[in-house]
Amino acid sequence: MKRVKVVTTLLLSATLLASTMLSGCGSSNGEETNKGGKESESVSSTQGTEKEVESEDSTDSGGTGGEVAFSGELTFLHFSTSEESEGNGGSDGFRTTIKQWEDAHPDVDLNQTVLSNDDFKTQIATQAAANDLPDVFMLQGMNTKSWAEQGIILDMTDIIKDSPYYSDYNTNYFTPFTSEDKLYGLPALTGGTCTVVVYDKQAWEDAGFAEFPKTWAELEEADAYFKENGYKETLAFGNSGQWQLNSCFMSAIGSRFTGDDWFLSIIDKEGAKFTDQEFVDMLTFTQDAFQSGIFNDDFNAINNEDAREYFISGESPAFVGGNWDVSYIQATIQEEDPDLYENMGFAVLPQPEGATKTENTQNIGMGYAVAINSKLKDDPEKLAAAVDLAYTLTGPDFATYVGENYALQGLTKVADIDLSKFDEVTKAFYNYSYVDTNASEIYDSYVSSAVWEVLNTEAQSMVNGDTTPEDVAEKTQEAYEANY
Amino acid sequence: MLSRKPKKSVLFAYLIVPMLLYVFSVFVPLVAAGFYSFFQWKGGPNKTFIGLENYVTLMKDSVFWEAFGHNIYLVILCVIGQVGIAFLFVIIINSKLVKLKGIHRTFGFFPSTISAVAVGFIWTMIYDSRRGLLNWFLEAIGQGAKTQVWLNNPKIVMTLVAIPLIWQYIGYYMIILLSATASIDSEILESAELDGANTVQRAIHVILPMIKSTIMVCIVLCVSGNMKAFDNIYVMTTGGPGNSSMVMALYGYKVSFTQQNMGYGSAISVAIFVLGLLVIGGIQLLSKIVNKNEEVV
Repeated sequence: MKRVKVVTTLLLSATLLASTMLSGCGSSNGEETNKGGKESESVSSTQGTEKEVESEDSTDSGGTGGEVAFSGELTFLHFSTSEESEGNGGSDGFRTTIKQWEDAHPDVDLNQTVLSNDDFKTQIATQAAANDLPDVFMLQGMNTKSWAEQGIILDMTDIIKDSPYYSDYNTNYFTPFTSEDKLYGLPALTGGTCTVVVYDKQAWEDAGFAEFPKTWAELEEADAYFKENGYKETLAFGNSGQWQLNSCFMSAIGSRFTGDDWFLSIIDKEGAKFTDQEFVDMLTFTQDAFQSGIFNDDFNAINNEDAREYFISGESPAFVGGNWDVSYIQATIQEEDPDLYENMGFAVLPQPEGATKTENTQNIGMGYAVAINSKLKDDPEKLAAAVDLAYTLTGPDFATYVGENYALQGLTKVADIDLSKFDEVTKAFYNYSYVDTNASEIYDSYVSSAVWEVLNTEAQSMVNGDTTPEDVAEKTQEAYEANY
Repeated sequence: MLSRKPKKSVLFAYLIVPMLLYVFSVFVPLVAAGFYSFFQWKGGPNKTFIGLENYVTLMKDSVFWEAFGHNIYLVILCVIGQVGIAFLFVIIINSKLVKLKGIHRTFGFFPSTISAVAVGFIWTMIYDSRRGLLNWFLEAIGQGAKTQVWLNNPKIVMTLVAIPLIWQYIGYYMIILLSATASIDSEILESAELDGANTVQRAIHVILPMIKSTIMVCIVLCVSGNMKAFDNIYVMTTGGPGNSSMVMALYGYKVSFTQQNMGYGSAISVAIFVLGLLVIGGIQLLSKIVNKNEEVV
């Protein structure tokens, strides 16, 4: 009898474990801190801008003018939810353009699945693993190589070359979606910076800085002043999600130490290593910067969403984040704190001592592209519809919309955006993003998440002082060799 | 008429639907995970059979074993914290001094009805270094020097993420133990009282032996629950700083979905299952040995 009881209990606990493990997976959906939103989110609209599509646009919108003979269902998976589109230029423009295309093609039943970015990433990874990708979907840069090798995404090289807008494309944006000289997607949404210092011009002027410091030594000087004058720290930063340090710091600073060729060599597996001295130097600098006390002491325990509140509440005179943080800060303080809004300035991270390869860089790009399922090859009519949709979503209609309403750029260059109707802050951010600074690559648009996961996790310990830069470099290199 | 046994086919027909549901939602995924764990399956549909290689990697994966260690630590803390404190509460509630027993029961059970994610958020706020309750309290009692960025301290972060779990589930085990103590014949307790046993003596020498099997069930539940701990840690630290609060289920999730390494992720899931069973089996064995010794005495 006792034996039966033991067996029953064991069986019961096995079931419990199994079922709870499953529910553990299920409940995680939608809880992850929003990382990927970064590539898509952008500056919110500012006063006096109009969100409606102007009538002259809609007359020639909704397609390339090419005939679409297909009728039937076309599935489309993306992450521009209606919630996200409020105040976010890229999503708003994307949704608007989709609507126009749908209206122009009543025979095509566009079956959209729209998820939040975190859910989207899990969903697309699962569908790719099951070889069940939707007809049209958003492709993240770092998946390009592996999915291209496995033949599940369509080689779009010729399609892109044949595009009616090809001459207007900003071809730099194609790099993350290129594998062995073939193109696999049309970069979508808007180009947004991942690293920007948002600062309170007035506070810095009071500290004796007419503009944001260009060196870390000056920053330390300023730090002494700010601490004496009631501020908690000089730079607010949040890294509890572990990706922030990579996306909003190391990826911009890295280029200054290693130069852009080093990273290209990493991408193409041409010999560069994470253990190379210049990369280790960058890690050492990062560790020193975070140990110096310039940043808030809880940078590893809070997220960027919390850190930007330190700037908004006036505890910090500056904050380091990405364009998605800028759009939130703008939207929040525009009404609540108009003085701070007027004083918002944007700057690149100061140049580290000993970093000589590049200067004035910030990492900017388009993290996602519209890509097509390779199975559509066998159905030319359906493929034509998908291609037309991809052209439209990344074409001049979209670019004009986000340019006129949000002062943002898409893949297609449109005639110079008239900035005069935007306020000074929006203009300043436009100039920061596209005009006054040098662009560097976004690390995690490339390579593999398995590599970045290791770097992000190890670097979080490193900035606490618990591991050495050499260790971090070695473990990252191991993951690189094993997974890429 | 009512007491007539239904035909076997009727019984079978009634049971087939829940059985199928069970098989599909529990058994099939488990077997599938076991199957996929023999493949290299990194994002995309291509799978390569690699035999036991994932398990060989797992054996050498220091992060996984660190996470396993954290799970064991969590299990120990939670068995003591959840079941132990719950037993204490049961004794207190059952004592004659406590009034409004129903209210204590209800409010005690309350936290276990909240989602673990919400609990995680609540405790993140309590631990917050600037606006958190904990640092505020330390300041208020003049211990300002002891304030710190709690969740960024790798030495204590596992304990800190265990506290919300303990807090949340005390009430759950309290209810189970309360129902067990309610079934103890009151004459036994009264005679113990007449013999001069005080509350503590009654608790240890009368109540505890009489609800031993229920406590065993509680421990099994507690262990299996904490071997797969995920939600609140995911919300509070995502396993950080570094891997200081990484647990097995969180690692499995990160490998499968963030790193898109589904084959290895499946191997981790199977390992969680096996290790969970081993730990529970170990506890059963231990309790058997204890029981035997008692019988000898």
